[in-house]
Amino acid sequence: MAWTFHFLEEIALADIGFEAEGESVEEVFRCATQALLESMANPATVSGGWERAIERSDVDPSALLFDWLSEVVYWKDAAGVVFREAPLTLTREGDAWLLRARLIGAPVDQQIQELHADVKAVTKHLYELKQTGGCWKVRVVLDV
Amino acid sequence: MNLNTDMTVNRITDEIWEIPLSEKPGMLVPARIYATEGILQAMDSGVFDQVTNVACLPGIRRYALCMPDGHWGYGFPIGGVAAFDVQDGVISPGGVGYDINCGMRLIRTDLTLADVQPHLERLMTELFRKVPAGVGASGFVRLSGEEFGRVMTHGARWCVERGYGWHRDLVRMEEGGCIERADPSIVTDHAIQRGINQLGTLGSGNHYLEVQVVSNERIFDPVTAAALGITGHEQIVVTVHCGSRGFGHQVASDYLKVFEKAMRRYGITVKDQQLACAPFRSPEGQDYFSTMNCAANTAFANRQVITHQIREAFATVFGQSAEALGMELVYDVAHNIAKVERYAEGELVVHRKGATRAFGPGSPELPETFRQTGQPVICGGSMETGSYLLVGTDQAVRDTFGSTMHGAGRTMSRAQAKRTVRGEQLQQQMKQRGILVKAVSMSGLAEEAGLAYKNISEVVESVDRAGITKKVAELRPIGNIKG
Repeated sequence: MAWTFHFLEEIALADIGFEAEGESVEEVFRCATQALLESMANPATVSGGWERAIERSDVDPSALLFDWLSEVVYWKDAAGVVFREAPLTLTREGDAWLLRARLIGAPVDQQIQELHADVKAVTKHLYELKQTGGCWKVRVVLDV
Repeated sequence: MNLNTDMTVNRITDEIWEIPLSEKPGMLVPARIYATEGILQAMDSGVFDQVTNVACLPGIRRYALCMPDGHWGYGFPIGGVAAFDVQDGVISPGGVGYDINCGMRLIRTDLTLADVQPHLERLMTELFRKVPAGVGASGFVRLSGEEFGRVMTHGARWCVERGYGWHRDLVRMEEGGCIERADPSIVTDHAIQRGINQLGTLGSGNHYLEVQVVSNERIFDPVTAAALGITGHEQIVVTVHCGSRGFGHQVASDYLKVFEKAMRRYGITVKDQQLACAPFRSPEGQDYFSTMNCAANTAFANRQVITHQIREAFATVFGQSAEALGMELVYDVAHNIAKVERYAEGELVVHRKGATRAFGPGSPELPETFRQTGQPVICGGSMETGSYLLVGTDQAVRDTFGSTMHGAGRTMSRAQAKRTVRGEQLQQQMKQRGILVKAVSMSGLAEEAGLAYKNISEVVESVDRAGITKKVAELRPIGNIKG
């Protein structure tokens, strides 16, 4: 698929801001995740080998996305890895949104991977997930 | 005067500007910005908005302050300083930042440029090898959970006990490199897992390790410089800029969440989600303070382990011990921290976010070593322009809760910097100008180009003229390691 996100220029001088969008909440989760992975390393240069299955739920999709992106940042440091991909599905279970994701990557290797920023945190600065017309959008600022 | 705000900004002096209470509903104190007129005009709109948001927080005393290196941050602006009464005021992770106790240290040597220049390539390669940098890097120190707990409570003292440093290093650190009231029992497992393998690592972004030169003509106060071990004559020094790594980042994230809920319970509203806070005396406020101190101590330990590695690298390259090379620590300062300090108003929780403590010679908190000079302040510029050594003043204690600037401050976004210059091209240009750069990420290198930062000399001049710190020496880069 063509990822729909773009990095923002002027809202976080010292850090990284991006806006991701999709026709569904699930798609915006995918695009925001891809933007985060690309902020840390070029996924095309990362092999597989390391994998974690992650499942989370929340009634608030905005809180769920924030927690999921924060979880990705956590594993970067806790396991010392960068990521190739993160296939995910998002479904409704009663009132709640259920996220099932696989985080796939490899231990950091400065010789073969194109590394980018060491993301410290996903921030609440200007953070917003909203539906506009038929489209879902999220704005995220990463502290780097 | 053309400013990036519609707010009224009154000139108090040529270096102090005040936004009155009338400019935003809910302001409890005026906001003050320290800057020359030129720097003030270049400040982004976020600074004015954020410093006046801070002025609305419960229990704030006197002023919400922003230093001349100020720019848009999260909650507080970078360069923000604010003090809250310990009885009725708040503590906010947004006033400390994600990188708790991100700070700088300066190490002197007896070496000169003539000694180092022929070996610079080997020295930088050895430093790059011994000090891991960049995304996901882990250090050589392997810790059990229990031992990591001792790092959290003992900070740099733990390092010295384990042989990563000299006992006399400790007196040359803010708080002796070990802040009391750190409680590892309430740190989350997530924070421990993020940080346990990262001791002795640099990180990325604006973090760096730099080999620098001090020339006679760039020493502004020779007496103070000499007292701090800075003798000039093309003397080689080393600066390190980094913090508490993933451990501190996770502590900040954990408590922003806790405070969002706590605010509802305490009936606190804030102008920006990133200003989430809790009363300092509340259980949540006290827990954050104790956990933040764990992260602050880990940052002191991180810079101490890096210092040990730097000393070993120099010893290997120059064939002499670090002691024989005169590699004494000049000082270590925190740039992102909240501390309880006593001022005219009584005990206050002083938040410094991208700002430095700057106690003057009269401060009883300083060890004997700095009672004549005042506390050393180390301010990092861009990797192309170098850094400054300054000292705190008694006027800073009176006017700015003993605080001053911390660095140059950005003026250009990371994306724009990358569009303007390529990492490989910048590395080449810097080499031609005599600065050897080793970087993990070429895009990260481009983001940190000198053109993305304010002119540090102008920033330093403004705090010098305002009297809240005094210039001692400029440190010019010849080698840089970036994540």
